[in-house]
Amino acid sequence: MKAIRYLIGLSFILVITVLIYIQLQPKPAEERILGGNLGGDFTLNSIDGPVSLSDFHGQPVVLYIGYTYCPDICPMALAVLGQALRNMPEEQSEQVQGLFISVDPERDTLEHLASYAAFFSPQIIGLTGDKADIDEVVQQYGAFYRRVEMRDSAMEYAIDHSSRLYLIDREGDLAGMVSHSTSPDDLMRHLQELLN
Amino acid sequence: MRKILLASTLMFSTLSFAHDAITIDEPFARAVPPGQPNSAAFMTLQNSSDETLRILSASSNVSEVTELHTHTEVDGVMQMRQIDAIEIPAGGTTELKPGGLHVMLIGLTQPLAEGDTVEVTLNFEDGSERLLDVPVQHVMPMNHQHQH
Repeated sequence: MKAIRYLIGLSFILVITVLIYIQLQPKPAEERILGGNLGGDFTLNSIDGPVSLSDFHGQPVVLYIGYTYCPDICPMALAVLGQALRNMPEEQSEQVQGLFISVDPERDTLEHLASYAAFFSPQIIGLTGDKADIDEVVQQYGAFYRRVEMRDSAMEYAIDHSSRLYLIDREGDLAGMVSHSTSPDDLMRHLQELLN
Repeated sequence: MRKILLASTLMFSTLSFAHDAITIDEPFARAVPPGQPNSAAFMTLQNSSDETLRILSASSNVSEVTELHTHTEVDGVMQMRQIDAIEIPAGGTTELKPGGLHVMLIGLTQPLAEGDTVEVTLNFEDGSERLLDVPVQHVMPMNHQHQH
């Protein structure tokens, strides 16, 4: 009889432990959006001076966080955005603003970011800032990056980073996010929803 | 009979070089904006031989340094790393594609615009090499690679 009581007590503790463990797990960014915890205004530098998200109040914004030395994923994400904008009727696309934030201010000068962003679309602005400002935006959007030394490589270092296109509505609130491997047409449809 | 087979296999394997057993499909290098110091080349490699073949290094006429790299996604985080070799399994295929293995062109000596062609040389483990003419294209997602 005692043994059964022990067992019941033990399994009760086990269930509580598991529940606490689940509660403590960091939630994926997708879930945190629904709670309204992600996103928000920020100010960073462009070649033409400081740019804030709130400068584009009334317009949908697509935000991507990466770096220009990125061999494939960042250019792919920006190429998808550029193509989505070109696929849309002009009266729609001209309302959308693209923002590319570099987390590699050491190599990505404002001049370089300007030509890099414009290469994918004239509607994308390249932004960066000092580390503290970048870190704040990265945290706000549930993104991630870290510098990794590459000892034997001429690259010297790479930057591990999360890769998402953040969709921001006319009010400046984060409405969703999509992968760099999304199709331009899918992204276009998402943008058209934000325009409606 | 067995001896003849063995002998001919041996002879054949000593005579065949990696560059003969490898078929390369759809190579392309990524078009980059002016002033961009690096790019990457991608392709599909097919190995028709019965042994694993390895690319140990590469070079190009448009970059100061050329390295073998991979890009992997770990828990939603993209991680680029230099690697020692790109393996093509016996009778198998290895894809170099955006978001994966690539030949990294570092220190570009000229802008890479769509429509240009660049040279990439792959150096195999057995000492053989393969020179490729690689067209420059815009990178798009995997399923839209050849749409423009």
